[in-house]
Amino acid sequence: MRLIGVDTGGTFTDAVAVDGHGTVTVGKALSTPGRVEDGVFAAIAGIAERTGVTMAQLLSDTDVLAHGTTVGLNAVLTRTGARLGLLTTAGFESTLAIAKANKLYELADTDLHSPTRWRKPEAPVRRSDIAGVPERIDVTGSVVTPLDEAAARSAIRGLLESGVEALAVCLLWSPVNPLHEQRIRELVAEVSPDTHVSLSSEVAPRIGEYERTCTTVLDAYTAPLVTSYLRRLEDRLREHGFRGDFVVMRMAGGVQPVAAALRVPVQTLRSGPAGGVSACQRLGRLSGRSDLIATDVGGTSFDVGLVIGGEPYSAGTPSIDRLPLAVPAVDIPSIGTGGGSIAWYDPALRTLRVGPHSAGAAPGPACYGLGGDRPTLTDAAVVLGYLQHLGGSLELDRDAAGRAITEHLAGPLGLDVIAAAEGILTVASAQMRDLVRRTTIQRGHDPSDFALVAYGGAGPQYVGRYAQDLGVREVLIPGLAAEFSAFGAMSSDLRVSVERDLRPCWLRDAAGLIGSNLDEITPAARQQLGGDDVLVQRSAGLRFYRQLNRIDLPIPAGDVDDAALADLAERFLQRYEELVGPGSAPADTPIEVVAVGVEAVRPVVVPRRPPLPTAAAVPVRRQHAWFAGSEIDCPVYRWDDIGTDHRIAGPSFVESEQTTVVVYPGQSLRMLPGGDAGLTLEHT
Amino acid sequence: MITDLPDPITLEIIRHRLDGINDEAAIMLRRVSGSQIAVEANDLNTAITTADGTVVACGKYVLCQVASLNLVTRDVLDNYRENPGIAAGDQFLTNDPYVGTLHQPDVVLIAPVFHQGTLIGWCGSTVHQSDVGGGTAGGLSLDSQSIFDEPLPMPPIRIVEGDRIRRDIERDYLARSRTPQLNALDLAGQIAANRAAVQAVQALCVRYGAAAVVAAMDHLVDVAEVQLRERLRALPDGSWRQVSYLQRGRPTADDADVYAVRLTVSKTGDELELDFSASSPQAPGGINAALPALVNFSIASVLIYLCADLLWVPGAVPRVVRIVSREGTVAHARWPAGVAMSTATSCQAIRSVVNGCLSRMLESSAEHADRTMAGCQSSGAGGGVFAGTSRTGEPFSSMTLDELTGGGGATAVVDGADSSGSTTSPGAACANVEVNESYLPVLYLERRELADSAGPGRRRGGSGCSIVLRPHGTADPIQVVSFAQGLQHPSAIGLAGGDPGRQSVFAVLPAGSEQAWQSGPVRELPLPDAKVRLAAGEVHLAVTQGGGGYGDPLDRNPDDVVADVVAGHVSRAGAARDYGVLLLDGPHPALDEAATTTTRAQLRQDRIGGRAPAPALSQRPGRRWTTTLDLTSGVAGDRIVCARCGGDLGAADGDPYSRMALQEVPTSGVAPWPVRFPGSERFVVRRLHCPHCGVRMDVQVALRTDPVVRAAEPR
Repeated sequence: MRLIGVDTGGTFTDAVAVDGHGTVTVGKALSTPGRVEDGVFAAIAGIAERTGVTMAQLLSDTDVLAHGTTVGLNAVLTRTGARLGLLTTAGFESTLAIAKANKLYELADTDLHSPTRWRKPEAPVRRSDIAGVPERIDVTGSVVTPLDEAAARSAIRGLLESGVEALAVCLLWSPVNPLHEQRIRELVAEVSPDTHVSLSSEVAPRIGEYERTCTTVLDAYTAPLVTSYLRRLEDRLREHGFRGDFVVMRMAGGVQPVAAALRVPVQTLRSGPAGGVSACQRLGRLSGRSDLIATDVGGTSFDVGLVIGGEPYSAGTPSIDRLPLAVPAVDIPSIGTGGGSIAWYDPALRTLRVGPHSAGAAPGPACYGLGGDRPTLTDAAVVLGYLQHLGGSLELDRDAAGRAITEHLAGPLGLDVIAAAEGILTVASAQMRDLVRRTTIQRGHDPSDFALVAYGGAGPQYVGRYAQDLGVREVLIPGLAAEFSAFGAMSSDLRVSVERDLRPCWLRDAAGLIGSNLDEITPAARQQLGGDDVLVQRSAGLRFYRQLNRIDLPIPAGDVDDAALADLAERFLQRYEELVGPGSAPADTPIEVVAVGVEAVRPVVVPRRPPLPTAAAVPVRRQHAWFAGSEIDCPVYRWDDIGTDHRIAGPSFVESEQTTVVVYPGQSLRMLPGGDAGLTLEHT
Repeated sequence: MITDLPDPITLEIIRHRLDGINDEAAIMLRRVSGSQIAVEANDLNTAITTADGTVVACGKYVLCQVASLNLVTRDVLDNYRENPGIAAGDQFLTNDPYVGTLHQPDVVLIAPVFHQGTLIGWCGSTVHQSDVGGGTAGGLSLDSQSIFDEPLPMPPIRIVEGDRIRRDIERDYLARSRTPQLNALDLAGQIAANRAAVQAVQALCVRYGAAAVVAAMDHLVDVAEVQLRERLRALPDGSWRQVSYLQRGRPTADDADVYAVRLTVSKTGDELELDFSASSPQAPGGINAALPALVNFSIASVLIYLCADLLWVPGAVPRVVRIVSREGTVAHARWPAGVAMSTATSCQAIRSVVNGCLSRMLESSAEHADRTMAGCQSSGAGGGVFAGTSRTGEPFSSMTLDELTGGGGATAVVDGADSSGSTTSPGAACANVEVNESYLPVLYLERRELADSAGPGRRRGGSGCSIVLRPHGTADPIQVVSFAQGLQHPSAIGLAGGDPGRQSVFAVLPAGSEQAWQSGPVRELPLPDAKVRLAAGEVHLAVTQGGGGYGDPLDRNPDDVVADVVAGHVSRAGAARDYGVLLLDGPHPALDEAATTTTRAQLRQDRIGGRAPAPALSQRPGRRWTTTLDLTSGVAGDRIVCARCGGDLGAADGDPYSRMALQEVPTSGVAPWPVRFPGSERFVVRRLHCPHCGVRMDVQVALRTDPVVRAAEPR
């Protein structure tokens, strides 16, 4: 018995395997953008090698292989997806181009004060590949103008003849009545049965045609690449003896069967970060924590996600490359502060600034010795003695890091190199802390209810700084911090969701409406997941009359009757006040139901790892490092040497193969029974 | 000199945090409110100020709503220190345009920030409300005779005391609105956002010390001032002029319905003066701006058109820029003149004239010329407010926000952003058609970008849109209140010889004729007035303005014109008429190179009376003054010459514009569609060319009886 999770990142492809005894094995390979599956296989081969078995032995013994992929995302970012045709309601061909006239949506901060760079996003479809079709359905779902089939046929033929490879269809009010979209798909099949067609009423059945069109267009744009990649990868896995379930990470959290991913590829687009949050969710579940802050420090960004009440928090409006997505997604705000962020002196403001520009992987930080000469966050950590090598192999050049900091920062600031490096970490940590604050305190969540989880290659180095002053209850560092997204893919529940937007209806009148719509969509969700041990979670999207923000609430099993409605209303008011603030729910405003959803869930059971030894760890060496300007000789421990409940006091370092935990003075690290570590912060 | 200035690291942390706090306040406002205007349109903004109200952090949404929040804080500080007092946990509400808001629908809420009993700053926010009362729905009144015919403003009132909302005052505020539930949502959002921002700033004071926070705020203002002065010093001294026109009511024989905002900008060293005092006397109601609106739009426009890539701290601008105006004018109204439509009328004119003057000023520097931008859409005649009885029988009153689908101005480097709205409301957005159809009993027949709506130029302006809708699901006629501007003449200015963006159209037509308006014989449509109703069997057509073009349209790369034809921005006829670009016959647009060369040569020659044009030089002949004019010094003294051919345009202290070769066309002739509005015959588009080489140097929209404007005058 074995579970494998594979996550393809920008630089590395990580694979994590857990066998029936709970033994964890990690494989890592460079990502291979040209043929992504090669990197995936190389990472899996790494596991086989470490386990001492052949690839075929490994795979034939694997029950579930879970994958988070960036194939679709990269196609969007590099605009290398399919040439795409878009069919709209006639008169609304410019919906994508108008983009709600919002030229600042997700615009880079660096362009905010440059009016000549205020531009709308570039849609991945040519204007001449957009055709309007005479038809019209209204707000109630009634057909105002029947579909002009002759015109539709002609538009379809025109687009296919001009060379489009996939079609997206987004008609007004299709979430309320998908009739015309479905008919168009039949018309396409008549002339070109193999052409991929994405219908907005299936991909993103939400009211609001701009966001729905973007989502449908991205789905069709990435569909040929994503589907051919997933099929290719699955074929190759099968050739190597894999007979288990091949599942794919979803942007909304959880994994889905590959068949579901092939149907709606857009759900794979931002699935990587969701893997990390899913892994936090599991970590919380195992240790009895239901509220967690997931913080991921990567090379170029700092991502924050929340798990609230045991579920990933997904209230935000996701977007990719400035194109909004009308599908559920785990909410993961991000800033461009990571290990590779460049620190610079701002002569105008006379301040030390960090980011948003990054040295990237090449040339990378100055300490990589690959030609980079601008100081980065990683260079500061190297100068302060926190890091000596990267990923077990690459030695870091402290002198080069010191030169970069001296030249670009210490000189202009009039500080010595240690103080400047300390300054870089202070500023970067403050930015990270700000983002955590913004996603918690400023949105009404009290951090003292939360455990903060720090992962990503660099998270364990900085968490002792940025978690300080936040008032969080505890800090957790997973044993697999660097491969947490791959682990998250592997340990996520299988989930398939179907949702449907309803024409707004007052909740008190909506019992029949909710019940019948749930009954209609439930079989589809159940069927996609298959198997017997499937839980069905139903939900309704509610809002106050005339508000646009909705809150999704679970509906317990059973008939939706007046008692169920009363219970929903009560929970809505409670949740609203949780989100918005005590006393904020307007008393006399009616509640509307605007959507229903069904999620079929099949839990994945990950074997627990065997208990750790309980011996006290002995330092493997000592290291000079600087904390708050003082040079201190610190012990360095190996992560795997530390037994359960054993405590390491700071200042000290704990190294694993992929990362280094910096335990700052006054802090201490304790190994938890599951193989993760808890960090106790200094009480200030 | 600031003594408590923190070290560069702490300073950066405080700076970053202030931005984050202000940003998050806007997000919270949108989340708590959830109203259509806040969530879909982003017609809101947030700001953090120093204790005296100097705006330090300003959100990205609608710049001019908070650029001069200091006027509101000043009013509260001057009047309420003793009675009713200003204490921690208080919040003050006002929608008084004579105190500090743009017009009555913009409701401002400010909260003082106290640390250990000392006032150290303010947090504030503004949200545009659907309705704040008054005689007409939405508060926009075309025929008000004074502010007493409009929503009566509320001067600052203490609506939150010690963190508790005063229910009596809240009721008083909500009672006047036709949409009290929506207003209540926004009010809750503003209170929550202010409270969160205040608490976050207080926490910052606890962590780093109030002195450090105050010093950091002051430092930001100082730095922004230094940057702005540096930019000004890098530019030559001179004067720049621009005029923008408004109309109110029916055309009269003496043009009394026409109002002009006239600006002269003078720059000396690192000081700038914006002088609006030559603007027309105020109108009785509706279209005027009170002083706060003038200041707000001026500051926002200075940031946009002069301060690209610098720090944007609104509070620094008044230290460098002097605003001169005359009370009793349309740009600076005297109480009790009505101002309810200011943002769509005089404020757009204010933005437009600042745009024209500052862009020409920046053009004098090769480095900064790339930062100039022609005019974006003004609020025209589309959009406005729809009111009536909804599907479920309740009264409704709402903006469609389709108004925001006009075009952006072209820059020296790239074409204007299509259907991108206005620069002074950079973060605003129009609503989804499906959202509007959820709230309003209407059915859209189209909302799409409109060919030939953009101002032609070497760089094309952004395209505007056409919007057609009809009543749906209501038996009662719908009242449609239009801003009624930009119908008689274009408003989005072109630069450097680029044409203005095309004007608005507003019409109620019989159903079935919604496509026919673009062809056939010219017809005269009535100007919209307060009586416009949209009934069953009729459609409402609105065209939003295109953005202004940049540079001579004959210099546009013909391949770009062909690409525009393919993409639908320009029609074949438009390519020939506006650009002198001809296409080969056939289904796929392709350039007819020979015919294009001949046509363009002919058009250029026609501009200068059929003479053979002087050849272009390989490089500019003198010192750059504008994109099209150079200054030279020699035996003939200081001269102004054509930057393209070197041809003389007179002494440097003379008026080169009077020597340019003028082609004057009626404004109804520049837009390709055969509609015109009463009064449009009074306005002309003046295309000014170098008399030697025929290059287009400037394009001005003017009342026929007004003189050619001396747009840029060196000193």
